[in-house]
Amino acid sequence: MTDAYDIAVVGAGVVGCAIAREFSRYELRTILIEARSDLGDGASKGNSAILSTGADTPSGTLECRLVTRGHARYLAEAPALGLPFLATGSLTVVWNEEELVRLRAMHDEMHAAGFRTGELVGPDFIRAKAPHLAPGAVGAIWEPEEGIVDPFSTPYAYALDAVTNGVAYRASAPVASATRHGGGWILDTPQGAISADIVINCAGLWADRVEALAGYADFVGRPRRGQFLVYDKSARPLLDTIVKPVPSPTYRGILIAPTVFGNILVGPTAEEIDDPDDWRTTREGLATLEAAAHRLIPALARHEITATYCGVRPGTDRPEYRIIPRPDANWVTVGGIRSTGLSGALGIAEHVAGLVLPEMKRAARKARAVPVRVPSLCAADARPWQAMMPADRAMHEIVCHCEGVTLGEIRAAMASPLPPRSLKALKRRTRAMFGRCQGFHCAARVQAIFDGAAG
Amino acid sequence: MKQLDAPVVVIGAGPAGLAAAKALADGGVGVLVVERDEAPGGLPRFCRHPGFGWAYTRRFESGPAFARRMLAALDPARVAIETRTSVLSLEAGPTLHLLSAEHGNLHLRPRAVVLATGIRERPRSARLVPGRRPERGVLTTGQLQQMVARGVPVRGRRAIVVGTEHVSFSVLLTARHAGLKVVAMAGPEDRVMSHAAAGLLARAAGIPIHLSTTVEDIEGSVHVEAVTLRGPDGTHRIACDTVVFTGDFVPDCTLFRGDDVDPATGGPLVDQFGRTNLPGVFAAGNVLRAVETSGWAANEGARVGANAAAYLDAPAAWRENAARIAAGPGVAYVVPQFHAPANGMAALPVSLRADRDMRPARLHLDADGAEYWRGNLPSARRLRRVAVEADAFATLPAGRPAEFRFD
Ligand SMILES: Cc1cc2nc3c(=O)[nH]c(=O)nc-3n(C[C@H](O)[C@H](O)[C@H](O)COP(=O)(O)OP(=O)(O)OC[C@H]3O[C@@H](n4cnc5c(N)ncnc54)[C@H](O)[C@@H]3O)c2cc1C
Ligand SMILES: Cc1cc2nc3c(=O)[nH]c(=O)nc-3n(C[C@H](O)[C@H](O)[C@H](O)COP(=O)(O)OP(=O)(O)OC[C@H]3O[C@@H](n4cnc5c(N)ncnc54)[C@H](O)[C@@H]3O)c2cc1C
Repeated sequence: MTDAYDIAVVGAGVVGCAIAREFSRYELRTILIEARSDLGDGASKGNSAILSTGADTPSGTLECRLVTRGHARYLAEAPALGLPFLATGSLTVVWNEEELVRLRAMHDEMHAAGFRTGELVGPDFIRAKAPHLAPGAVGAIWEPEEGIVDPFSTPYAYALDAVTNGVAYRASAPVASATRHGGGWILDTPQGAISADIVINCAGLWADRVEALAGYADFVGRPRRGQFLVYDKSARPLLDTIVKPVPSPTYRGILIAPTVFGNILVGPTAEEIDDPDDWRTTREGLATLEAAAHRLIPALARHEITATYCGVRPGTDRPEYRIIPRPDANWVTVGGIRSTGLSGALGIAEHVAGLVLPEMKRAARKARAVPVRVPSLCAADARPWQAMMPADRAMHEIVCHCEGVTLGEIRAAMASPLPPRSLKALKRRTRAMFGRCQGFHCAARVQAIFDGAAG
Repeated sequence: MKQLDAPVVVIGAGPAGLAAAKALADGGVGVLVVERDEAPGGLPRFCRHPGFGWAYTRRFESGPAFARRMLAALDPARVAIETRTSVLSLEAGPTLHLLSAEHGNLHLRPRAVVLATGIRERPRSARLVPGRRPERGVLTTGQLQQMVARGVPVRGRRAIVVGTEHVSFSVLLTARHAGLKVVAMAGPEDRVMSHAAAGLLARAAGIPIHLSTTVEDIEGSVHVEAVTLRGPDGTHRIACDTVVFTGDFVPDCTLFRGDDVDPATGGPLVDQFGRTNLPGVFAAGNVLRAVETSGWAANEGARVGANAAAYLDAPAAWRENAARIAAGPGVAYVVPQFHAPANGMAALPVSLRADRDMRPARLHLDADGAEYWRGNLPSARRLRRVAVEADAFATLPAGRPAEFRFD
């Protein structure tokens, strides 16, 4: 028994979810296949949550073009999906004359490449935008179009949109083998075999392994870990914009930024690791970040750290996206989406659809898409409990006190067509247990609710 | 909804809040106790081991038994308890924004408020413990206790307890209920922070206690698989599926911010009558500082509740002429932080914490370069309560800032 599809998207990270959503707009049978119990559980769950304009990616590259496009599409499409964007802008700050020379060069390159919104600013401007930043900054590029997003809800919203509009979804289904069959492929998973005319490998950190299943070895995965600190919400008034250093081609440096959830985030580090599954914070990494935090915003030393986490970038042996169409084999590789995938996802999706659709005979565009909206977890947005008379009283019963998450919101998350299958996925959907007490007060109750609903 | 316009609102139905409610009711004042949890009782509700309430009830009960006793003592004609109700903000007025499962969003303007929101433990992340973040098995004492009390399966067999405070040893009892075997305890200090006897008993039960030791790594993706400890003789890896971070309490004081909070305690700044910086708002219990016993918290609640009742009778000028009592050399913090002239209200005992171990210890209260009081103590232990007799302030002129210091 093999389920037959036109398109199989392997990997439900932010990239795979965006691609699945793109194909959901066409009269195609598409399936999104995910190895883990929950979507968005790979590289996509641990990042800086910045929506880049593309201005600081190497100009003229595919990455630059797709991030630019992804940024524009996100701004246009996110509001209808309920996804937040906080237009914080960003300051790329330098602290001495030598760096200032590099900053000017970077500014000129950006303008030459067509990014005209970034402007060179001096210490007064920096002080006005980031009054708590340590003194001594000599200059910055102010980029008004950069901002912050919700990294957890983004892949979820894309996947929910895809599924609502007809895409099949199969989780806990690691693709274990890929065999040529007619013009297409048969993919074996523990949940049964899937046949597809075209396979799109979006396996992120594990993309090289999925490539190997089909016999391809165009690149080698070079995972790079990045650690982060998240400061308590009490620190949020200290910073309203993104502050970052001048990037190098391989490392964007330690930045400090507000989060849409109302915290301050510091990171990432950059460490080459051998095993893409080595998601570990280290004493040195955390110490480096704490020192950087205190150096950049001295007042942070008086605030508690709420969380530490790390992410792993799906880097490869070359510092660029590895998007490889193989029209003869009906296999498209979408790998190496290293440090800009959250921003680039919608651009990448459109690009990949452009590669594939000309091959598809029945690829008529659907007349309409069913609209989808996810609950906003942004601290600046209204919460369901603010309604005087919610439809459901449970929307007025707070369970997670630090983040103000109600019983009603948890129940609604559990009732999603794509319900969380693990506690950590429930955390990402609702923010329950994500706050300063990390579950001291609510984790037992949340788990009881989860176990009850999950059966 | 008669009870919602009570003259006094108590925030938090733990020992301090319930004792305050009783004192208010005894003084003839109507009280609304607001509790965000599903049931009143505070943290003791989840602690099955004996040892609660002694200083208040002269009984040595389990947490739930103590909570039931406190509830039974309340006169339902005067005290209403609204559970599943969170106080979201507390502003000058005092005005309160509440979210109640039953009544929705409420804005109240009582004549007085007693803040009794208690404490929490610092989680693993705030302690910057490195390693993986397994989905299950990294706990605090509070979470473990609630899991046991709520019948949520712990799904572990072998636990490591981080910390050597009193509460760390209470985990040994809770663990037994959860079917967990504690395979080691570890703490950063060079001695057991609880009574030495607790350490001896644990060791006699075959539980090694690693001192001067920190957690260097946690392994596991879904469940904890192992923990690596770093101590004086290097690192060692212990296979386990649960790690409980204990102690390291902080007041749960999010309703107060900025200048109204003592950075040293993390709790509101109060005078000896429990008056905070906000007129009409009193505070009592562990929100003042971490951490005291439930009996101590209840006694504070009782006095502050009586003071709130007295304030309604005669709303005197709020904290007039109160002077700052600072923490000088050797003193981590002092509670209360302000001293006001006598006004007929009941004073809280003055307590402070030394910032290191001292034996013997000489404590001074100075103002304007002169010494007003001196106490000789056989010893003072780091972050252990040092109670100061009430007469310490007897000769201190009103309104004069003073400082406690150790030699
Ligand atoms: C430290 C750090 C900071 C970052 N900051 C930013 C930022 O600020 N802004 C930004 O835009 N981007 C940022 N990024 C980059 C962004 O997070 C990534 O580019 C993006 O998440 C990559 O998504 P993906 O879908 O390609 O990969 P993934 O999220 O890893 O998704 C791949 C999916 O494939 C699944 N899979 C693997 N093997 C199989 C198999 N055999 N069968 C089925 N499924 C399989 C995996 O389980 C996974 O869910 C950052 C990344 C890191 C690590
Ligand atoms: C694990 C553990 C073991 C302990 N063991 C002992 C022991 O053996 N013996 C002993 O004497 N003491 C023990 N204690 C200490 C004892 O629990 C405390 O001293 C006591 O609970 C303090 O009382 P409280 O009223 O100040 O605070 P809590 O008991 O913490 O009560 C505060 C209440 O306020 C509520 N609240 C907080 N914020 C809000 C809000 N915004 N809106 C509405 N409600 C709110 C909380 O839900 C809580 O119910 C232990 C504590 C812990 C954590």
